[in-house]
Amino acid sequence: MKSPSAPQPRMDGDFLSLLPEHPLSRVLTSDSQALADHQIEATTVLAFHYRQGVLMAGDHRATADNLIFSDSVDKILPLDSDSLMAIAGSPAVALEMARTLETSFEFYRRSQLQTMSLQAKTRALSQLLKENIPMVMQGIGTVVPIFAGVDYSLPKPAPTIHFYDPLGAQFKTTSFASSGSGAGNVKSILAFQERWGSPAPHKMDLKQATTFALRLLTTAAQFDSATGGVDPRLNRYASVYSLRPGEVRQVTDEEQAQWWGKEKKA
Amino acid sequence: MSELFQWLEAIHDRGEYVRDQLSHATPVFALSRPEGILLVGVGLGQSKVFEIYDRHAIAALGNPVDIEKIRQTAIEAAHLEGFNRSPQDVTLRRLMSYSLSPALKNSFESVFQPPLIVEGVFAEVGETPQDDVLMEFSHDGNFGVVHDGLAVVSSNTAAATQAKDWLRTRLKPHSNRNRVLGLLLAMWQAMTNGERIGNSIKCANLETVDLGGRVLEMALLDRKTPNKVKYQALAGNA
Repeated sequence: MKSPSAPQPRMDGDFLSLLPEHPLSRVLTSDSQALADHQIEATTVLAFHYRQGVLMAGDHRATADNLIFSDSVDKILPLDSDSLMAIAGSPAVALEMARTLETSFEFYRRSQLQTMSLQAKTRALSQLLKENIPMVMQGIGTVVPIFAGVDYSLPKPAPTIHFYDPLGAQFKTTSFASSGSGAGNVKSILAFQERWGSPAPHKMDLKQATTFALRLLTTAAQFDSATGGVDPRLNRYASVYSLRPGEVRQVTDEEQAQWWGKEKKA
Repeated sequence: MSELFQWLEAIHDRGEYVRDQLSHATPVFALSRPEGILLVGVGLGQSKVFEIYDRHAIAALGNPVDIEKIRQTAIEAAHLEGFNRSPQDVTLRRLMSYSLSPALKNSFESVFQPPLIVEGVFAEVGETPQDDVLMEFSHDGNFGVVHDGLAVVSSNTAAATQAKDWLRTRLKPHSNRNRVLGLLLAMWQAMTNGERIGNSIKCANLETVDLGGRVLEMALLDRKTPNKVKYQALAGNA
């Protein structure tokens, strides 16, 4: 709790600048070189535009070297009612970044009585990635996220997809993005489907887009041992979320099982 | 001795000054209901009722700048606590006891600084109405837990007590939102106009109630929503 002095709040809505003033704050840096050889990494995540918005999906696997560390990691993280983040790389750093952004966005909204603009949100993620460069240079804690947020400055508000490099450079994509060790295969298929597929991803409804995302992750897992993929026999599905203006919706395992099963029968 | 006396006199004068300033402010209400906690005030829009954290909100009266200071202080303390520990660790009892109340008291007793002209009620929604927490606070850092789920905050404490009695006999758990609002606004009008609080006051008609050019500010801390953020700003005619 804050020390009981006369109230001197910052009033600028900037949670990131508030954190270092507080002794309990965690800092997203480390000088531990020894971790570099055994860092845990999370793998394939993807995002693409479908008919009603943006679909974001990721497998559940985290690996450390050749070991499967976990098959139950959630790599798609809702930050607020208008933004999603997909993490690839070190979950320890990525999850902390997501938590920082989530608190930062809510802090700004409550403090300033308005939502943060999409440009400010994407810049906030860039700033965290830049602050993480010392960890990247040491070979630990690399994070390569995908961010999706609703752009309310457009005449008709719509979600947009942004991807980053580990140093914090931010790029906007008009169609799709993928990150992690299985991303190469996924991007090839998405590019093919976007150009010659029927339907193209941006014309799919939610069921079609979800099934397509599950297929993409399954294919990625076929060629990349660090991607968990989807296995209905083990009741193992993916993290799948859709983003539309004012709505983040999780596609549940039950829905994925139902839609995947119908696809198989068809 | 004389310095102590001067300090006591200064504190006394500050108290009178703050109470005089607050006498121009209109009351705010917080009410624990089956669906959540309803917070109601009448102001200029975004001036009386605010979201603080996932399960927390404030309804306050007084100087807008001072309301803002308390609001921002509460938001900062809650978010730091929620980030450094967890959102479940953000409780109204801790916020009030260890952050807001000492800050208010320090401000009031720092005689060379202007006092904070603000009073109000903080609300924390729980799983059931019995788990709800309402805390009224005053400009000098005093605060108290409201045990019957109804907070009426006004600079006129006698009128606030009468208003609570009047509302308690009329508010029922099954009353619909419009009925509840009608009763609260009737009491707001009576208290604002300095009327005698009694049986002559009737439930206000939401279509015709005169708010003196101000707007109804209302929010619900919705205990039924599955979302972690419970605060919902409500439209004036809900």
